[in-house]
Amino acid sequence: MAYSRELIRNFCIIAHIDHGKSTLADRMMELTDTVALRDMEDQLLDAMQIERERGITIKATAVRMFYTHSDGKRYMFNLIDTPGHVDFTYEVSRSLAACEGAVLVVDASQGVEAQTLANVYLALDNNLEIIPVINKIDLPGAQPERVIREIEDIIGLPAEDAPQISAKTGLNVEKVLEHIADMIPPPKGSPEDPLRALIFDCIYDNYKGALSYVRIMEGRVRAGMRIKSMATGNEFDVTEVGVFSPSLKPIDELTAGEVGYICASIKSVAETKVGDTITESSRPAKSPLPGYKHVQPMVFCGIYPADGADYEDLREALDKLKLNDASLSFEPETSVALGFGFRCGFLGLLHMEIIQERLEREFDLDLVTTAPSVIYKIKKYSGEELTIDNPTNLPPSAEIAYMEEPVVEARIMTPSEFIGSIMELCQEKRGIFKDMSYLEETRVVIRYIMPLNEIIYDFFDQLKSRSRGYASFDYEMKEYMRSDLVRLDFLLNGEMCDALSTIVHRDKAYAKGRSVAEKLREVIPRQQFEVPIQAAIGGRIIARETVKAVRKDVLAKCYGGDITRKKKLLEKQKEGKKRMRQVGTVEVPSEAFMSVLRID
Amino acid sequence: MPGLYVHIPFCLRKCRYCDFVSFAPPYETGEYTEALKREIELAARACHLRFDTVFIGGGTPSVLPHGAVSLLLHHINKNFSISSPTEITIECNPGTVDAEKMSEYINSGVNRVSFGLQSSDDALLKRAGRIHDFSDFDRAFDLAQNAGFVNISADIMAGLPGQTQESYLATLEELKKYGLKHISAYSLILEPGTALLDDVMAGREILPDEAEVWAMQDAGKEMLENMGFLRYEISNYSIPGYECRHNVNYWKNKEYLGLGISAHSALRDPSWTRRENARSMKRYLELINAGTLPVVKSTVIGQEEEMFECVMLGLRMVSGIDLSEFEQRFCQSLVCIYKSALDKLYKKGWIQEKDGNLMLTEAGLDMQNAALLEFM
Repeated sequence: MAYSRELIRNFCIIAHIDHGKSTLADRMMELTDTVALRDMEDQLLDAMQIERERGITIKATAVRMFYTHSDGKRYMFNLIDTPGHVDFTYEVSRSLAACEGAVLVVDASQGVEAQTLANVYLALDNNLEIIPVINKIDLPGAQPERVIREIEDIIGLPAEDAPQISAKTGLNVEKVLEHIADMIPPPKGSPEDPLRALIFDCIYDNYKGALSYVRIMEGRVRAGMRIKSMATGNEFDVTEVGVFSPSLKPIDELTAGEVGYICASIKSVAETKVGDTITESSRPAKSPLPGYKHVQPMVFCGIYPADGADYEDLREALDKLKLNDASLSFEPETSVALGFGFRCGFLGLLHMEIIQERLEREFDLDLVTTAPSVIYKIKKYSGEELTIDNPTNLPPSAEIAYMEEPVVEARIMTPSEFIGSIMELCQEKRGIFKDMSYLEETRVVIRYIMPLNEIIYDFFDQLKSRSRGYASFDYEMKEYMRSDLVRLDFLLNGEMCDALSTIVHRDKAYAKGRSVAEKLREVIPRQQFEVPIQAAIGGRIIARETVKAVRKDVLAKCYGGDITRKKKLLEKQKEGKKRMRQVGTVEVPSEAFMSVLRID
Repeated sequence: MPGLYVHIPFCLRKCRYCDFVSFAPPYETGEYTEALKREIELAARACHLRFDTVFIGGGTPSVLPHGAVSLLLHHINKNFSISSPTEITIECNPGTVDAEKMSEYINSGVNRVSFGLQSSDDALLKRAGRIHDFSDFDRAFDLAQNAGFVNISADIMAGLPGQTQESYLATLEELKKYGLKHISAYSLILEPGTALLDDVMAGREILPDEAEVWAMQDAGKEMLENMGFLRYEISNYSIPGYECRHNVNYWKNKEYLGLGISAHSALRDPSWTRRENARSMKRYLELINAGTLPVVKSTVIGQEEEMFECVMLGLRMVSGIDLSEFEQRFCQSLVCIYKSALDKLYKKGWIQEKDGNLMLTEAGLDMQNAALLEFM
């Protein structure tokens, strides 16, 4: 028997990184006896190690809880956990579309942040009922009154009655549950209509294959049914449906209003697209649910094994990650300097960093990553148009009529005292000022139109350091704009090193060429001969540095009978040598390719 | 024949660059030398080695009170067999010796004195945290000579904070008149855990840059050779016939027994084995008092690694590696085993073969580390 729809509440929690989203979810599960106390591990929803460490959610997950209200009724709560970062805006919007309400968690001392705001707008776009909650009330710096005002002034939500909680200690979390039951509307949609199920996530399970996480908007789905993806037209047979308790628990049927998973012997998550609508093959819905988008990677970089022998391991690792992450793309690529590797595409910066980190941690790989690039559009004099995501593929400048680069709208929220230095940073990064509005006396939102290629280097780090960590930031892809771009190359001992090439704005090429050359001089160890480092645009040298030759490399000291130290030193040297890449005659450490990413 | 090393881990003050195991006052030397005697007995019971060199190093062995060194040597003689001709060295800090100690040393069989001088420039000595000045060395040298020592060595250092090439060469110039038989010319290495490293990291101290140190070494070598010294190892020079036999034994990768805190040993037992003694005084004394050898680590070295050790150490010596000795030791020819490494090094002009020995050229000695990587 289907659960009474009147008693179902589908909701998500939206919050800025570190404001306590996962902790609150943990307390809710505890209070509803969803998870036995002894199985409680902090932040149960964030199963991935990196998620736990960074305190962010990378993949969306869901959990079903049962809550007994003081009115005696037993409610079914479906909590959908959403990824909390700007790179995953689309995924967040699909998770939100699967809900009727959202719990907005705001840190009692930090207040509303740029990302909170971005997610609130997304929630409002999806017509969600928003329940503000003020968290970390137990901390000494808590200023609930100020935060209430902020929520009211900035977001425009009444917050006088917002539960003031401590997710950590459990204080007032009960009230949140009550608000959810009272304020979030039950799902609409009839179980008798043709099936429409919204995919809000997909994961790969070693035993069951690709699982689609769905919200049934209308109709019902059960094992044995033949279903159809409305985006791709592909059909599958359902082998199992179930719910998250929070582990996967098969049930007979999912009906309108419910949240669960569908397993249909789909081999890879790439075949199940987030945002897609699943319907019944024999009785298809008239139209798909709105909002589906084919997600395209925006940021690319080359990933190479530090030790060329690990190429196959790297491929396997990428294959495995791809199973669970449809938005990651990669294809083999060869670099003169780095050998065999892969060109990988990511949704954004964080996505790129997470993938790199997972490759290194979960698969124990040593990587060399090249400078990230965006997709450039090139119009040639011949009329031919092409797009490139790797600077190496840029045609000779004589053939290029013009180039276009992607620009984004960046929203930066900051205490007003940092406005000056942040605007300066945005100008340096070729930003075009759009507007600035005061959220309250001491906080502003500044909007800039900025080239994506300026953001993908160190913009975020710079923003943090120039605002002592207070500014938060969020961006949205806008359009392509014509731009005067050139390829900046680097030559080591006269030989071009392709892995160091980047596309930059002409006005910035000189400064960048100089600073990268200086940096390279620092990181390239001295060789037995002098190594000139040159920065070049086209064939023209614009900067030059020299790594002096090493004349002696010998351990003069004698450690008495302790020869193990000498051996260790040599082993270290040998290890370092293994991590060197031969660029022409010059040995370049893997780190050199990455150190050029962080300049200034 | 195996060598015997005895570590005395006490110094009046720790030099700023030093990372050897040594303690500054207050310390209790009596308890330690008693423990050493126990270790001598334990070690003698465990292995029956004959030694022809003994090296009492530190730390500063000359800080031991009168009589302690002769008691130790007496105990060594009683428990081990010592063959002649014997080389018995003691390391002395010029600021810690007197006539009585010198005659005690010579009367108990010591026949080689190694003074830690480092520089003749008093300002540099002070800056490096040394307790003595150059006049102390002058006096100590006289005391040693008056006591009857002939084989006297001095350590000097290139790369001390504040040092210039002039100052380095001035030290050698000063040493001309003493008729030393041996000079060890090391260069300062900034080691983790030293006061000097802290100073350098904090910007309180600046070391001469590498190129300056290289220049000091090159100029120093030339000057030493003009003074009649022959370079026989990367950092060691001697009047012919006065090479330090104890150290040559290390570089030939032969057996040695190390006694005392933090001392290392290499023994054929029956596999090639390297051992380390406890590094903390507490642990060392505990083990000795429990009646066990204070060995905390013992590593059996595989043959491949033993071969590499022979190369690594042998190529420190100007005379290099005796190829037939190597072949005898391993029943394989070095030239076959390391063919590809040797090919590369020949091409670079870093290595040569002469009179049955394989040795680095002068250019090769300067790049010994890089050369060794080819053998790994």
